[in-house]
Amino acid sequence: MNIVVCVKQTFDTEAKIVFDSQGRIDPNGVNLIVNPYDEFALEEGIRLKEKFGGTVTAVSMGGARAQEALRTALAMGADKALLVSDPALNDADEWVSTQALAQAISKIPHDIILAGRVAIDDGSSQVCVRLAEELHLPSVSTVLKFSVEGNKVTAVREIDGGTETLEVELPVVLTAQKGINGNEPRYPSVAGIMKAKKKELKTMTLADLGLSALEPKMKISKYDLPAPRQAGKKIPGEPAAAAQELVRLLHEEAKVL
Amino acid sequence: MDEIKNVSLEMKDYIASSGAETLSWCMQCGLCTNLCPWRLVPGEVSENFNIRKMQRLGQLGLEGFEEENILFACVTCGMCQINCPRNVEIIDNVRSMRNTTVGAGFLPAHLRPIAGSLHANGNPWSGEREKRAAWQNGLDIPAFTEDTEYLLFVCCTSCYDTRSQKIAKSIVRLLKAAGVNFGVLTAEENCCGESIRKLGDEELFQKLAQGNIDLFKRNGVKKIITTSPHCLYAFKKDYPELGGEFEVMHYSEVLAQLVKEGKLAFPEELVRKVTFHDPCYLGRHNQVFDPPRELIQAIPGVEFVELDRSRNKSLCCAGGGGRIWAEVPMGERFGELRITGAVEKQADTLVTACPYCIIMLDDACAGLEKGDVLQVMEMSELLCKALDPK
Amino acid sequence: MPKGIWIFVEQRDGQIRKSSFELLSEGRKLADQIGEPLVGVILGQGVETLVKAVAAQGADKVILVENEQLKNYSTGAYTSALNQVIRKGEPQAFLMGNSATGRDLAPRLAQRLGVGLASDCTGIEHDPEKFLVFKRPIYAGKAFAYTGSTARPVLATIRPNTFAIAAADESRQAEVEKETVSVDPADLRAIIKEVALATSKRPELVEADIIVSGGRGMKGPENFTILEQLADVIGAAVGASRAAVDSGWREQKFQVGQTGKTVSPTLYIACGISGAIQHLAGMGSSKFIVAINKDPEANIFNVASYGIVGDLFEVVPLLTEEFKKLVSA
Ligand SMILES: Cc1cc2nc3c(=O)[nH]c(=O)nc-3n(C[C@H](O)[C@H](O)[C@H](O)COP(=O)(O)OP(=O)(O)OC[C@H]3O[C@@H](n4cnc5c(N)ncnc54)[C@H](O)[C@@H]3O)c2cc1C
Repeated sequence: MNIVVCVKQTFDTEAKIVFDSQGRIDPNGVNLIVNPYDEFALEEGIRLKEKFGGTVTAVSMGGARAQEALRTALAMGADKALLVSDPALNDADEWVSTQALAQAISKIPHDIILAGRVAIDDGSSQVCVRLAEELHLPSVSTVLKFSVEGNKVTAVREIDGGTETLEVELPVVLTAQKGINGNEPRYPSVAGIMKAKKKELKTMTLADLGLSALEPKMKISKYDLPAPRQAGKKIPGEPAAAAQELVRLLHEEAKVL
Repeated sequence: MDEIKNVSLEMKDYIASSGAETLSWCMQCGLCTNLCPWRLVPGEVSENFNIRKMQRLGQLGLEGFEEENILFACVTCGMCQINCPRNVEIIDNVRSMRNTTVGAGFLPAHLRPIAGSLHANGNPWSGEREKRAAWQNGLDIPAFTEDTEYLLFVCCTSCYDTRSQKIAKSIVRLLKAAGVNFGVLTAEENCCGESIRKLGDEELFQKLAQGNIDLFKRNGVKKIITTSPHCLYAFKKDYPELGGEFEVMHYSEVLAQLVKEGKLAFPEELVRKVTFHDPCYLGRHNQVFDPPRELIQAIPGVEFVELDRSRNKSLCCAGGGGRIWAEVPMGERFGELRITGAVEKQADTLVTACPYCIIMLDDACAGLEKGDVLQVMEMSELLCKALDPK
Repeated sequence: MPKGIWIFVEQRDGQIRKSSFELLSEGRKLADQIGEPLVGVILGQGVETLVKAVAAQGADKVILVENEQLKNYSTGAYTSALNQVIRKGEPQAFLMGNSATGRDLAPRLAQRLGVGLASDCTGIEHDPEKFLVFKRPIYAGKAFAYTGSTARPVLATIRPNTFAIAAADESRQAEVEKETVSVDPADLRAIIKEVALATSKRPELVEADIIVSGGRGMKGPENFTILEQLADVIGAAVGASRAAVDSGWREQKFQVGQTGKTVSPTLYIACGISGAIQHLAGMGSSKFIVAINKDPEANIFNVASYGIVGDLFEVVPLLTEEFKKLVSA
């Protein structure tokens, strides 16, 4: 089975957001990790290979540092890795990213393409579904559970207030919810880490992919930070009145309900 | 039986290159495993973690040592190391073996936010850097200047954990009462890095340590008082490797000296039966045994009893080596043994002198529901009580 | 000829989702600002009866697309249908709720149309130069990006509860345009076999939007039922402190904290939890924290957005009643 897993390198969940002099988010000095949802996708990709044989190719788009994310994928058990990297992609929106990744992945044999359902940085949750469209493939988003039998994939995905079971034939794109198939992303062995150093990690530019610079559809005009958390308030009064006031505040002030 | 695995010279070299210099000295006598506190509790970690075997796997370059329950189980208490007949630097070996995976970017899931926070905030507790010194508000603590004798370095835990802040505040009070010339640079400090180094993240340790060394040098720091034995260890044993040479003391050493000199006294009688838990990093690792005992016994009214395991034989609280962030089910926590031991001695107060030990012992005391017969206190808190009427 | 702001009216089993009414309400304001019509787009089968409600919520026009293939949502059929009506009607903007459906549908539709999409927005501003500027939380809400598109239409999914629902005006009429579409068989490759609506099933702890947690103050395992009752009213997951786990009242998999699960819900309600640093490490990034604790000095109040000092056994059931009133309103 030819398995492709899309892996994005993101800021550490603990990272602080700081802006540079141009008001853009400054990645300098920030610890970077593999997008946690993508780790679940990787785990599933590697399990598929362990079950059916084949090749797992990890694909990422990003700057040179994104190689680290791909090394992680290789240490976990991916066979090959491809990084799409080009300064012209710095301002890529989801459409541009999709064009580049689709072009790269179209050149790799793929029966199944896996990715996390969302990246924890921009949180846009678009690229892999767009990718499916661009490659003319069906997709199932936010998959909780799936199995492959012959050519047929049965997948359970999360919908509002429940789940939906789908059947679809390979090739297909699946985006992974955390905890997909009840598995935790594996912790690589030292042997895996040592082997990863020798595995193929290719980098391709837009020119290598036969693409020229692409004009994004969306442009970010500015960034800002949320207002600092307000000091909390203790709600005074008798329990009944306090409970009522709390619900009112949650509804009207916090707008969470 | 274990499955047959391949001996790998390459792996062995990789482990050695990560710093496990004395790994090959081990002759597999097994004393380490027998002295290991994990033998005293039941459960999965205890069954899987065998320090002798882990080193053997490393010597042969065999896979298997890197399983989370094995590689990250050691509490670095040092019990094995001080008794090793071959003087194997077992803890260095553990940390180097951890570095084989951690150095490549792989930390067990529960430790990632810890490392993430150390990177982003300079402390492991996800506390905002700007709030590191917030506990000092209203306490009138002098800033360190060129005329200050001692820098007081406060452990991250006591900066951010409200329970632990009481320790820092008590130490400040005692130092003031004794007229010590001290100041702080808290807001600009990083975590000392002791635990993250033991966890094998050498790169992160060096980043944190270098930040502190530069800060200390820039401000002309020569003498440091630490609130935590872990910071004491880092400054004394780790920082010199990076060019950070300072005169470092735990607060108990400073205070005990001042009591001897008559500069600090405890007027208030406390009728208590007190016992002392030697923190591994104060006792075994830094051989500071007498100062806390002298201090406790300087309080009028205190009856002091030793725990069965004390001084060099003290039993770890399980908070070292990064285990302060590890989950262990009830019934398998070393702290429970300490609480039970103290209750058996009919002590009403279990004193220790380390913020990590306090976390672990407090937790065990609450878990065993022994709070009505035994109070867990940091030594500075007890001493403060004896300073003040009421 | 202006083509308007279009709203995707999401319906399931003939029920319009609340988020669609929110979008229609805000869409009305935007349409007035830019002087263009507001159009509601309904996909389904036998859903003509919904037109009235869409009109009452402010739509000038309703595009009704009925087709057996559209009876229930499927990615392919809905993409195919919307692609056809959008290409024909050429709206300026097409807005959807950021529901599971919106999240699945919007990116595919945007790619088919070759346009931009602002996902999971929490605000929309009209700007004379930039047209619509969308506010999006990024880095789990640690920052916001403001984004817009020069191309048309611009697509966006909007987080539920972002906008208030305006009062419906039942006297409003809307022009109805019925469209027929053909669904490309290539779009029907993923076949839905089963839909399981588990309304009573609590969400997974790590993904839940609301979490109610109990600690040592719960006093015993049986008392967790009052938290479960509260949770079920607001669709929350139930978590626990380690003290509650150690006491054997809850399973370890429900432990929130440094050595348990790390959660970041919109709302975290801590009942009988003191707020130890290890607990805070697992939930401190929640957007809103509510604390119910009888000890006014408890550390949890230092991080809580709202707190009630009181006996949880008294407060929690009252809270459940108040939430019931709100939910049924
Ligand atoms: C290595 C390690 C890892 C840990 N990891 C975690 C972790 O992942 N998650 C975690 O939660 N903890 C963790 N802890 C434990 C943590 O330190 C605290 O002990 C624990 O969180 C306390 O739980 P609690 O708040 O429920 O209990 P307590 O601290 O005992 O607090 C109970 C609270 O309930 C209140 N209360 C009592 N009765 C009522 C009533 N009738 N009405 C209202 N309020 C009432 C009390 O005022 C009190 O504030 C860890 C500890 C260690 C040592």
